[in-house]
Amino acid sequence: MSASAEPQAAPRHSLPEGGPAHGPAAFLALLLGVLGSSMSRYIARRVGWGIFLLFVVSALTFLIFYVFPSADPAALRAGRQANPQLIAQIRHALGLDDPLYEQYWIYLKGIFLHFNLGYSYQNNVSVTSQILTRLPVTISLTVGAFVVWIAIGIPLGILSAIRRHSTVDRSTMGLALLAISAPVYWLGLIVLLLFADDIGKVHLLPGAGSYVPITHDPTQWFLSLLMPWFVLAASFAAIYARMVRGNLIEVMGEDYIRTARAKGLSERRVILRHGVRAAITPVVTLAGLDLGILLGGAVLTETVFNIPGIGRYAYDSIVNSDLPAIQGTVLFGAFFIIVMNIVVDVLYAFLDPRVRY
Amino acid sequence: MKTFRPRDGRVGVGMGAAALLSLAVLAAGCGSSSSSTAEGTSTPSNISTAPPPTPVSCETKGGTLKILSAGDVDHIDPGEAYYSFSYEITRPTQRALLAPKGNSTELEPDLAASMPTVSKDGKTVTVTLKPGVRFSPPVNREVTSADVKYAIERGFATSVANGYAGAYFSVIEGAPKTPPQYPVPISGIETPGPHTIVFHLVRPEAVFVSALSLPLTAPVPEDYAKPFDDQAVSSYGLHQVASGPYMIKNNASGSINGVGYKPGQLIELVRNPNWNASTDRRLACADDVRFQEGYQDPTVMAKTILSGAADANGDTPPPPAELKSILSSSTQSKQLFFTPTGGSRYVALNTSKAPFDNLDVRKAVAYVLDRNAMRLTRGGPVDGAIATHFIDPSFGNQGFDQSGGTSFDPFPSPGFAGDVTKAKELMKAAGYANGMYTGPQVTMVADNTPPGSDTAKVIAADLAKIGIDAKIISVTHSTMYTKYCNVPKNEPNVCPNVGWLPDFHEPQTIIDPTFNGKNILPSNNSNWPLLNDPTLNAAMDRAEKTLDPQTRYEQWGKLDDQVAETAAAVPWLWENFPTLFSSRVVPALMVDNEGAPDVSYMSVK
Amino acid sequence: MALLEIEDLRVRFQTRDGVVRAVEGVSLSLDRGRTLGIVGESGSGKSVTALTVMGLSRLPNATVEGRVLFDGLDLLALPLEELALYRGKRIGMIFQDPMSSLHPLYKVGWQIVEAIRAHEDVSKSAARRRARDALAEVGIPNPSERLDSYPHELSGGMRQRVMIAMALVLDPDVLIADEPTTALDVTVQVQILDLVRRLQAERGAAVLLITHDLGVVAETADEVAVMYAGRVVELGRMETILGAPEHPYTWGLIESLPRLGDARGARLHPIAGQPPSLIHVPSGCPFHPRCPHAFAVCPEVEPPLLPSGPGHVVACHLAPAARRRIGLALRSAATGGSVG
Repeated sequence: MSASAEPQAAPRHSLPEGGPAHGPAAFLALLLGVLGSSMSRYIARRVGWGIFLLFVVSALTFLIFYVFPSADPAALRAGRQANPQLIAQIRHALGLDDPLYEQYWIYLKGIFLHFNLGYSYQNNVSVTSQILTRLPVTISLTVGAFVVWIAIGIPLGILSAIRRHSTVDRSTMGLALLAISAPVYWLGLIVLLLFADDIGKVHLLPGAGSYVPITHDPTQWFLSLLMPWFVLAASFAAIYARMVRGNLIEVMGEDYIRTARAKGLSERRVILRHGVRAAITPVVTLAGLDLGILLGGAVLTETVFNIPGIGRYAYDSIVNSDLPAIQGTVLFGAFFIIVMNIVVDVLYAFLDPRVRY
Repeated sequence: MKTFRPRDGRVGVGMGAAALLSLAVLAAGCGSSSSSTAEGTSTPSNISTAPPPTPVSCETKGGTLKILSAGDVDHIDPGEAYYSFSYEITRPTQRALLAPKGNSTELEPDLAASMPTVSKDGKTVTVTLKPGVRFSPPVNREVTSADVKYAIERGFATSVANGYAGAYFSVIEGAPKTPPQYPVPISGIETPGPHTIVFHLVRPEAVFVSALSLPLTAPVPEDYAKPFDDQAVSSYGLHQVASGPYMIKNNASGSINGVGYKPGQLIELVRNPNWNASTDRRLACADDVRFQEGYQDPTVMAKTILSGAADANGDTPPPPAELKSILSSSTQSKQLFFTPTGGSRYVALNTSKAPFDNLDVRKAVAYVLDRNAMRLTRGGPVDGAIATHFIDPSFGNQGFDQSGGTSFDPFPSPGFAGDVTKAKELMKAAGYANGMYTGPQVTMVADNTPPGSDTAKVIAADLAKIGIDAKIISVTHSTMYTKYCNVPKNEPNVCPNVGWLPDFHEPQTIIDPTFNGKNILPSNNSNWPLLNDPTLNAAMDRAEKTLDPQTRYEQWGKLDDQVAETAAAVPWLWENFPTLFSSRVVPALMVDNEGAPDVSYMSVK
Repeated sequence: MALLEIEDLRVRFQTRDGVVRAVEGVSLSLDRGRTLGIVGESGSGKSVTALTVMGLSRLPNATVEGRVLFDGLDLLALPLEELALYRGKRIGMIFQDPMSSLHPLYKVGWQIVEAIRAHEDVSKSAARRRARDALAEVGIPNPSERLDSYPHELSGGMRQRVMIAMALVLDPDVLIADEPTTALDVTVQVQILDLVRRLQAERGAAVLLITHDLGVVAETADEVAVMYAGRVVELGRMETILGAPEHPYTWGLIESLPRLGDARGARLHPIAGQPPSLIHVPSGCPFHPRCPHAFAVCPEVEPPLLPSGPGHVVACHLAPAARRRIGLALRSAATGGSVG
């Protein structure tokens, strides 16, 4: 994050909902102002930088694959007692015998000219199409979990902060510690063994491998994702609750909170409009980045619930030394992280007037 | 050999024509290896390796079978498939010339009308095809001998790159010496009539007839497939047509991609409308078969099958804890079957360089290894019997009995726990005064995930008992093969995590590629000990040409013992594969294929 | 009865280290149009006293005793929701650090509008007009534009003017100013004090001015209360406290003032020792460990606040005659000096 605040400004920001004069017209005005301003130059610069980073990431993936010991895809494909000529031929057919820079160049051309990430060594299926068919799955999982953890984590964090040392606070923070330390894999298994309609103690919700696209059957889609959403969201909700609590406790000790009270505002308004708004900006940043990382694939959750998302594809491709698939998933992951970085930076300027680019 | 299916949700043995041996590395540490160690100490009494009887009729017709797997097939193209799990799909969809007879390792005609006839000199093999076998849509026409010819020819092309064509079919006259980019005709395969195919061999080859059971001999229509095969990497697999009772669900243009095949997610079989039951022994009871992939947690997989929501495990066995609980239940244990894989795991010692170029040092290693402790790293007795030579019990009188069965053990020790005293004596005989090795450190390239990494640690600790300090290099399973153990110039002193599966039940496929000096290759080598003993080589070459089965089994049985006595490789496990069926189906499995569920014979109760 | 009566106020905070006795029996009164200055070092309890009037020291770990009568009504007995009706509306407050006291993420206009609309049912635009007028009244140039400024876009003096505008926009009866000029440079201090004085004169509000700076008191206050260790130790008219103080602590405060003619940064004469811990308050007269005139009884008995002249009360064991003598000596030593 390279959002630079003015020196005197504490890195504390806020949500748009609390903003003054944040009507649509004002927002539009702000946006128009932004477009002609240093912000647009800033965004252009960040996008340029992001594209450069994608180059670096793809080049690094190439290098790592070749430099570090990994399985030889041509030898894998050639099979038992293949003579060296066959392996050489396969290497040639896959383009693996070209110089590294040439392979990389061909790869880049494919991406830029045809948005083609290549074909899987293993099943000859287009990596682009695989990722695109799996993308809605990962988005369903990630965005749903995101909603869950925000909806749970933030209110609990606020409640714990304002009822500090109360039973609510103590039990929330205790549970949070548990949720943070529980591995997703283990938690997923427990939840499945408790609630899955096939292997659960209580036959409540569809279990592993029950995912269907939303276009196919929205109800089944929703039900099959309920457990994964909560399992994926658990540790995030815990982290966010703790973060919101910590930030809010700190903010509630600030002078401007005293001012707000001295103005005769209701305690509710003091907490929500003044306290939470200031406490939540770092959370927004973190949320953006977390979302970006997860959009690149939530490997463990996708694995334990057998959800055919990008994370599982990435994992499978690494296991299979399937370079085009590895490249594609790594690039996609990097893409999301970079995009969310830019989004978060831009959001900052809207959330915190002190931030200037 | 084809690739072992992963065990304990982890890595398979073998050299991995199939890249996918190790789909579920993730499950590592998920309880199986640690808990298994404790369970392995007591032998469950009710482990039987008797297969369920072959069903002769359907309990019911119709319904859907669901097979669960952690990973995908190695290749969807039947001409590329070389992996036990892949055969679960090729067997019901593709008709090779021969097929195993029900639940046995014996072969019988499948696409062939009768068993092949072999000329006296062993160099001409003639096969007659059944009439009335038809391709699935969109090809629809009748299968002819030209389709079998093309299927084999395409296996040699780089664009298809079949993993075993070179090993079993290069004996055909005119088979390409250097692989062509795209399929080319082979002069030694003649099709005098639409239902007759003749193979002319350059020399007698004992196992050629058995190799006709491999899926490479399943027909591929050239007119339809050629455009796909003429791509750098053939995409026929994504447009394949079937000859068996089932086909992978496709669309009108014949593509299965995204229809019946979603890589890593689903392979769906539906009935081949052109299948003629009167030409086939297969029952094909269910209407629909779904191979549901991505079940990377073996516990979830096992419990899902027990719950009846799915019907069998496709590529991953239930974890030891589940096995134990299933075995302790009188009802559930009836749904569980252990099948010898036909293969063995062993520790390969590099005989081309010191110190293991010395026979006595190798023998000392064979004595000092605690094979019981090694087996415990994989789950103990449920995982199989401790191996004392290479041909496993599933071969029965096809070589196992001939090599002395379970009574042949060249390096015995009480409880297979190792004999340090004997080992030290041998080290002294090798010239090490105190019975302790004094040379430089030896290298060992091992799996970086359990259970392979655990096995390697046990081996290193045992070697230390005779003073051998082993440096362990940890890499992924497929890297271990393709970059180290398969490449003689990179080969370490010890390859602790290797193993070999037969392609079919001929002992030659266990001993020859792995210990014959002529099979040492600069890459994709499978003679890991680099054993090159002229006497043994000559005996193996003789046995390869022995057409009479009984004589041949005698020869290989004896060779098995002789190889074991060289201690170039120390066998330690004849592995079983547990297959779990749901209580709602009549079980059926492929005895010759690691006990994989056989959907052609399973039916819903 | 005065507009604001503080009666025997006691505020204690339970902390991990012990009970902090921040305010111990303070009684003060303030009438319309008057300015009461409370002076003392930090930790003397002056700010807590002011905050308690507004109920701003109502924390889970605080106990408050005594009464704060505003127009005869005990504010301490009011539930928070009712107290909120007084805050901002009847009693305005400005704070020490105008940067941290304004919300950094809201425009100043919005913050003033919020204060208005918290108490009066007026339209946004009407409230905005009043906010603009309030800014103009406190001398902010271009008030219409400033409404849309964020606090960080304003200078320190401007921010404090905004705070004052916000505190006075609803015409409160009492203005509590807690160190209103401490964070500002000297020229701005004078402007702000002038502003407070002018507004008070125009509106007739009562002002409770908390400061550690006797100079500020001299500029503004009618009466002065000197606080030490949570207690009022001397109280009287501004002229009396600055001209004829009788408490050794007040003497010390005056001594420590910079005098005219001193070079900038010249050595001052601070009171020896440290302010006492409010957890372990010294026995007897809490000032005795630092008092150059302390004698045997001082550590034993806490001196009561006793009248010493018209409207002048002092808590000291020294005999009144002795106090006046020493005070006189001090004054002559300071000849040519001036406070403020």
